[in-house]
Amino acid sequence: MENRYGSINTATDVTKTFQFFKGGLKMRKKLLAVILSAAMAATLLAGCGSTPDASDETAASDSGETATADNSGVQEITWMFWDDLTATEDLISKGYAETIERFNADYEGQYHVTTITTNLEEYYPKLNALVASNETPDVFIVSPGPNLTVYVEPGVAAPLDDYLAADGWKDSFTSDAVFSQMTYDGKIYAVPLNIAAACAFYNTEMFEAAGVKVPETWDEMLDACEKLEAAGYTPITISAGTAWCLSMVAGYLCEMEGVDLAALEDGSASWEDGKLESAAAKLVELSKYFQKTAAGDTNDVATANFYNEEAAILIQGSWAIAQINGSNPDFESKCGVFQFPGVERVIAKSDSLVMSSSTKYPEACTALMKYFTDDAAQKYTAEIGGKIPVTSVEYDASVAPAQLAYVMDVFGGAKGTFGFYNESMPSTEAGAYFDDTMVSVFLGDMTPAEAATDMEEFYAGNCR
Amino acid sequence: MKCDGRGYIMGDKTKSTIVKTMIYVFLILVAVIYIAPLLWVLMVSFKTNAEIFSSPFSLPESFYLENYTFAWTAGKLGIATLNSFIVCGVTLVLSMLIGSMAAFAIGRLRFKLAKPCMTFFLLGMMIPVHCVMIPLFTRFAKMGLSNSLTGIIIPYLTFSLPVTIFIMTGFFQSMPNELIESACIDGASIYGIFFKIALPLARTGLFVTGLMTFVANWNELLLAMVFISDDAKKTLPVSLSKFVGPYNTNYSQMFAAIIIAIIPTVIVYCIFSNQIVDGLTAGAVKG
Amino acid sequence: MEEHEMDKLLRNKKAIIIFLTPALLLFTVVLFVPICQSIYYSFCEYKGLTAPEFIGLENYKNLFKDKSMVFALKNSLFFLIFSCVSQLVMGLFLAALLTNIKKGRNLFKNIIYLPCVLSSTALGLLWMFIFSPKLGINQALEKFGMEGPLWLMDTSGFIILPMWVIAFVALWQYVGQSMMLYMAQISGISTSLYEASYIDGCNRAKSFIHITLPLIKPMVATAMSLNAIGSLKFFDLIFNMTEGGPNHRTEVLATHLYTQGFKYNKYGYASAIGVVLIVLCLLVTGLINKFMKTENYEM
Repeated sequence: MENRYGSINTATDVTKTFQFFKGGLKMRKKLLAVILSAAMAATLLAGCGSTPDASDETAASDSGETATADNSGVQEITWMFWDDLTATEDLISKGYAETIERFNADYEGQYHVTTITTNLEEYYPKLNALVASNETPDVFIVSPGPNLTVYVEPGVAAPLDDYLAADGWKDSFTSDAVFSQMTYDGKIYAVPLNIAAACAFYNTEMFEAAGVKVPETWDEMLDACEKLEAAGYTPITISAGTAWCLSMVAGYLCEMEGVDLAALEDGSASWEDGKLESAAAKLVELSKYFQKTAAGDTNDVATANFYNEEAAILIQGSWAIAQINGSNPDFESKCGVFQFPGVERVIAKSDSLVMSSSTKYPEACTALMKYFTDDAAQKYTAEIGGKIPVTSVEYDASVAPAQLAYVMDVFGGAKGTFGFYNESMPSTEAGAYFDDTMVSVFLGDMTPAEAATDMEEFYAGNCR
Repeated sequence: MKCDGRGYIMGDKTKSTIVKTMIYVFLILVAVIYIAPLLWVLMVSFKTNAEIFSSPFSLPESFYLENYTFAWTAGKLGIATLNSFIVCGVTLVLSMLIGSMAAFAIGRLRFKLAKPCMTFFLLGMMIPVHCVMIPLFTRFAKMGLSNSLTGIIIPYLTFSLPVTIFIMTGFFQSMPNELIESACIDGASIYGIFFKIALPLARTGLFVTGLMTFVANWNELLLAMVFISDDAKKTLPVSLSKFVGPYNTNYSQMFAAIIIAIIPTVIVYCIFSNQIVDGLTAGAVKG
Repeated sequence: MEEHEMDKLLRNKKAIIIFLTPALLLFTVVLFVPICQSIYYSFCEYKGLTAPEFIGLENYKNLFKDKSMVFALKNSLFFLIFSCVSQLVMGLFLAALLTNIKKGRNLFKNIIYLPCVLSSTALGLLWMFIFSPKLGINQALEKFGMEGPLWLMDTSGFIILPMWVIAFVALWQYVGQSMMLYMAQISGISTSLYEASYIDGCNRAKSFIHITLPLIKPMVATAMSLNAIGSLKFFDLIFNMTEGGPNHRTEVLATHLYTQGFKYNKYGYASAIGVVLIVLCLLVTGLINKFMKTENYEM
């Protein structure tokens, strides 16, 4: 029965409407109040946002110290990094934070650096966004290899030869070889800050108990693993599911078989020439000695297996030293290091700084970069950070972590270095493809022969 | 046969109690599945990193409060929370206002292009943010809005509009026609109808979309990370990611930060969500 | 007479413009232009820092040859179907339960909604721990003498185990949202309808089927559309739990887009994936609307 006011339940409807109306009025007033305050907030923020925040605190200083009140004449530069400088527990990052503070203090009134920090994951997306909108940071950190090429080719990175030649800066470095990965067409485009080498860490007690000596050839390696297993230990711990971890081992095995990345890139060699196949076959052989959960363990867990004494060997980069010693201080005395057997060169990686070619203050930038390679910073790198310094600085070996000395031995004894395989290929995608192929082989999804064919196809289609 | 508002017929009391008990048992089980993982996060936040890997599921050896103090100071969580509140709050108010206005137009007002308009807005919901991030950032940088809170409020607002409009249109469409008719007869203007009748009636919808908008923006990471460089302007999710280092993650501090971050969120959303079910009249049972 | 007046009121051009303009303006300026740019890039080779070069349909042709894209499509579709069905069923079920109890309704509702509010990064890490091979569930299973599977690494089967695991975690996280939407709609149903049905002798179950379900149909369409689009766009949780691994087996459209665009700097190719995603979303939304054609019921 419909009447003018609608359906049957007039009474309820009207009461409801009345209630809503009252509520509505109150709500409308509330809404207006909220909108006004929001508008005020928005204007405040617009004010905050558009003034160039020239004198903001650096991330390193908690007390919020700003540059001197009179900012005229102070050259402001920005430095971008892939870890937060206050919240980090990474010793190297903490060292960088100290360096920044020192720089700002020493050059007060002349230069000032503001840091831009992100998470590692979002580092390149943000850097690329800044470059695309002409806000390239004056100095930024980069991993050499295809990641650096991305900035060299379009001319975003500035060549540094002239600056290196001045004041004998270049001579302070241990050798010219440290620049090999960042040289394009004879020009140097980045400055390395430290070197980390990938080697095998081992538990000296377990080795002794199983009667194993440090292996120097491939067969000795397999033999050592056999003995360790027989003695009841898990021979190797590794995060086989994490592509770059497995890639370290794969890279060494490829090196053992004589794979030549440069030849593969220009087409004079083929992935199918049998070398990759035998390297992959060796990987499968070695994987019998991985921990049972190797496929699923993350890198943190795999490393924890090692310093919690659940496995004998960990193949990792020397950045793990800080993590190992930090998590289990007692372990340092039992931790030895050996060169991956059967290869003459060592996989090395460096953090490097790039200067933007569009920077307004190149002198300030180079001054900053010099602070990262000066004695104080490099001493810290070795003594506390546990990474290999790039300059011939004298440091106190007794203060440094024990493992660093062993790594230095390995490094010194090697005939040269080569980069991580996934950082030495024509593109980051090629590197990732290689990693994934190796994981497939490990998981048994691909035979070594199939892997070789696959890589060759990829290269033919994408890299040559 | 007596029937009261409670919807059952007298005499079926036992059957109803059994059903009620079963319902409660099920709900408690569900609640356990929801709370247990979060309790684990709480427990882990009191451990050290090494403990997490050696014995992740046992009670912490000692209540290691340093995680919390470190997370708060080094992570600058206080400022981050404030920034998140400002950004999400302003986005919330503006998106509810602008969104419900557009939804009212599409849902209630009569014009030919209503449906295409809706599809147009929906497009915004379908595009993943990664696709548009760099062009968006480039334009904002040119306008001088990079590295500012306003610079992220605008994209957040725009991304929240499609969902708001989508849901609110539904609520406006299911409003009873009589109310509008009677208001017309009483000589109300269309604006009066909107503010005094439509909005209050769709209050539940407003709270629902408000909640969804607030929550989505509260946890948004990528835009905030790319658009904001100043430490003092970073929002909460960005601060949480500070504990993930380049080589390994500081789980214990990160979980401490997560717990700190949960508390204001829970308070805000409890307020909002309780409003949503306020509409349920006391004593009524709906099948 | 009143109908005509109301009609005039509702056709007031000025009002329509005022109501629509802020949203339209904001949306067009901020989002629409980048979307168009994105579509243009999908026809280009665009490596990020150098200018884009027009190459026509190359990107799309490569998409079909891309192994990871096949995985991504398969997983996204699986996710779509699983998510829509499970959220509908569970969400409705929970909403029905909760609207029928008085004590503890708010408490349970808040508990179930809680994970929606938490950051996916945190939850991804949390569940990664719980499902990791040695710790978590497997540790508990060991105590009972069973060996748990490799939850997040097992690559056997058409839809691999990690996908199911992730799908369940996503359900755990987001069912609260569907439930909340349904509760909001149910709360708008006038109790008089139920009273009338009880007078007529309906029991609870019958009134649920014949009154509640039909009246929340519009919300079902809305919630399902939101679910569908959300599951096609799904990124955070998967990225934080498996990053698309092992070996791209748990890749979905959004993670594939991210990897191609931000890790390999292939923005043109990534834009093409984005376009595929939009097209899929449009298709699915259209389908849902078609199947759920509803009339406006008086509530």
